[in-house]
Amino acid sequence: MNQAEVIAQLQIIFDTLFLEPVVLTTEISAKDVSEWDSLMHISLMVSVEKHFAVRFRVGEVENAKNIGEFADLILKRQLEP
Amino acid sequence: MDSVLLKKLLLNQDPEFWGLLTRLSRQASDFEELFQLVSLRKKAEARQIPGSGLIPEKIRLALLGGCSLYPLHALIEHLAEIEGLSVELWKGDYDNYISEIMDEESGLYSFQPQIVLLIPSEHRCKYSGLLTDCRQKQQAEAQGMVDSLMELVSKVHEKTAAEVILTNFMLPVRHDLGAFRSRTLGSDWSFRSWVNLELGLSAPPYLHLCDLAFLANRQGGIKARDDRSWFESKQPCSTSFLVEFAREVVQLISSFKRAPKKVLVLDLDNTLWGGVVADDGLEGIELGDTSPRGEAFKAFQKQILVLKQRGVLLAVCSKNDYAKAVEPFEKHPEMGLRMEDFVSFKANWEPKSENIRQMAAELNLGLDSFVFVDDNPAEIEIIRQFIPEVMTLLLGADPADYGAQLQDCRWFEPRNITAEDAGRTGQYRAESQRKVHATSLTDMPAYLESLEMESAISEFTPVDVPRLAQLINKSNQFNLTTRRRSETEVLDVMKDPNFIGFSVRLKDRFGDHGLISIVIAERMGTTLKIDTWLMSCRVLKRQVEEEAVNELIRLAKQRGCDRLIGIYLPSPKNEMVRDFYLRIGFTLTAETESKREFELQLENFQPISTSIKLTRRAYESS
Repeated sequence: MNQAEVIAQLQIIFDTLFLEPVVLTTEISAKDVSEWDSLMHISLMVSVEKHFAVRFRVGEVENAKNIGEFADLILKRQLEP
Repeated sequence: MDSVLLKKLLLNQDPEFWGLLTRLSRQASDFEELFQLVSLRKKAEARQIPGSGLIPEKIRLALLGGCSLYPLHALIEHLAEIEGLSVELWKGDYDNYISEIMDEESGLYSFQPQIVLLIPSEHRCKYSGLLTDCRQKQQAEAQGMVDSLMELVSKVHEKTAAEVILTNFMLPVRHDLGAFRSRTLGSDWSFRSWVNLELGLSAPPYLHLCDLAFLANRQGGIKARDDRSWFESKQPCSTSFLVEFAREVVQLISSFKRAPKKVLVLDLDNTLWGGVVADDGLEGIELGDTSPRGEAFKAFQKQILVLKQRGVLLAVCSKNDYAKAVEPFEKHPEMGLRMEDFVSFKANWEPKSENIRQMAAELNLGLDSFVFVDDNPAEIEIIRQFIPEVMTLLLGADPADYGAQLQDCRWFEPRNITAEDAGRTGQYRAESQRKVHATSLTDMPAYLESLEMESAISEFTPVDVPRLAQLINKSNQFNLTTRRRSETEVLDVMKDPNFIGFSVRLKDRFGDHGLISIVIAERMGTTLKIDTWLMSCRVLKRQVEEEAVNELIRLAKQRGCDRLIGIYLPSPKNEMVRDFYLRIGFTLTAETESKREFELQLENFQPISTSIKLTRRAYESS
């Protein structure tokens, strides 16, 4: 899987969770989407970990500045044995 | 799928949104699912979708504790709303509960809470000394922990008169000390267990424990915890456990507002024992230690008796012949329950909703005090439709799970058990016996319509022969002549041109009942004589009888007959159909002790209209 493919799958998760459609780009981040508050964030992380069968390490999600970096993080964690 | 539909209802401003939201919220077991419902509800409120129902007063609920109260607060607020309890929330700051309670000028007190939820920090519930310190010293510190919590709780109660919900401490889940953990009060395991016990045993009446130790044990301790979410955002537990936590808080809040249920109404066949007593006989029902299924039913009865000891009233409501229904209670050696355990015993063929209404009137209790238990979804549905005040418990497919279902239903949880509670049965029994029975009518047609029944009537076919023979040899109650036939004899009937025979299958929206009724008749000139008419009692009063008589008459006319003759041969088990022919329009022509004969002139007969949709008729290829 590459970054674009991860973002395409993230798009599906966002479509289920968010009421107003959000079009994901590598540059987009929580501050660009009004619905994406910290409550939504928790839910999003639970869904993402389940969907990609990954577990992020403590603190690393908040270091990802945008969806592009977040997708890279998912890829990195997916490569782990 | 359901959440997609819910979103659509929201976008269309459809009031049906609220009903679906409630249903999904009650079922939701994982965090994302419930969380999504929370955000959809908020959006629906913002968009002012009509029909959310007016909730008159808000309960002021203050949350404070040694962890993040977020998103716990959102789940509590949502689940309370779903149960018709609207809450106004005040949230304390992270780990600031001690000063919030001690400082009389704090926001907590200006909020004037009616309920306070306090989640003390588990990191503080720890022995500070050595594992090898003497037990007195360790216990004194544990007692000190309890005392300081009790001090906080009584302070907040004194100032606000609020009910206080206090969470106890989740136990450790790591091996850490190994077996040594339980040999010292200094381990987290023992220290917290001791504190938890002491909190519960010494709680004043206004204090209610939210038993996180129990809930985490129930869910699985490892699953209930999530260290990462503690480090990242001070969550007290895993997201999945947060759902259980919030549900328990709402359960406690609603228990302040609503009394527990008083009466447990039980079905009999396949609920208290396996099988159908009227068909299988006293010896044939599954009950007792001779088989695993029998054991499961016996254990279920024991659990029901435990509820009775706690003061719950027991009643029976069964579609049955009264004499047959009481037999196991009087004669079966493995029965845990006996007649004197019940305040009311209804075994008849009236709709169960009517029986329960009568019970309520006789016992002088509101319908909202009743819980009804049955293994049959159609019976549960009739209660839900006609007396929605009554809570229902549909038993699952395996009697091994009945006990767990009853223990998890949450309707009979006591606040305090008193001696009077335990003596209630006798008192209510007497009252019930004094009252005169009054019957009222239920809207049966609407119920039958709602079942969406479909029937296929078919002449006998070779593939059906084994089932036909089985039903012919097994049916006892709704069986006019109780004539038994082997498979070969059924085949003989099929070959004889003077005989007609048909079977009826029934489906409804709860499922397929399969082949449930059989009629065999013999043509003699212009008379059609009914040799056999039987039906499974599961589908009694579902209008299958009416469709069968319609079909019989149609076939009789087709064959040039002008009258039907019906016979009733009494057996020890078929009393219920003694007057069956009279009920469907026949007249009695002859009667002896061992036989009643009826006839129907066809020219006068109008087909009976029913709520069953026929998908096929006999002797017409489908």
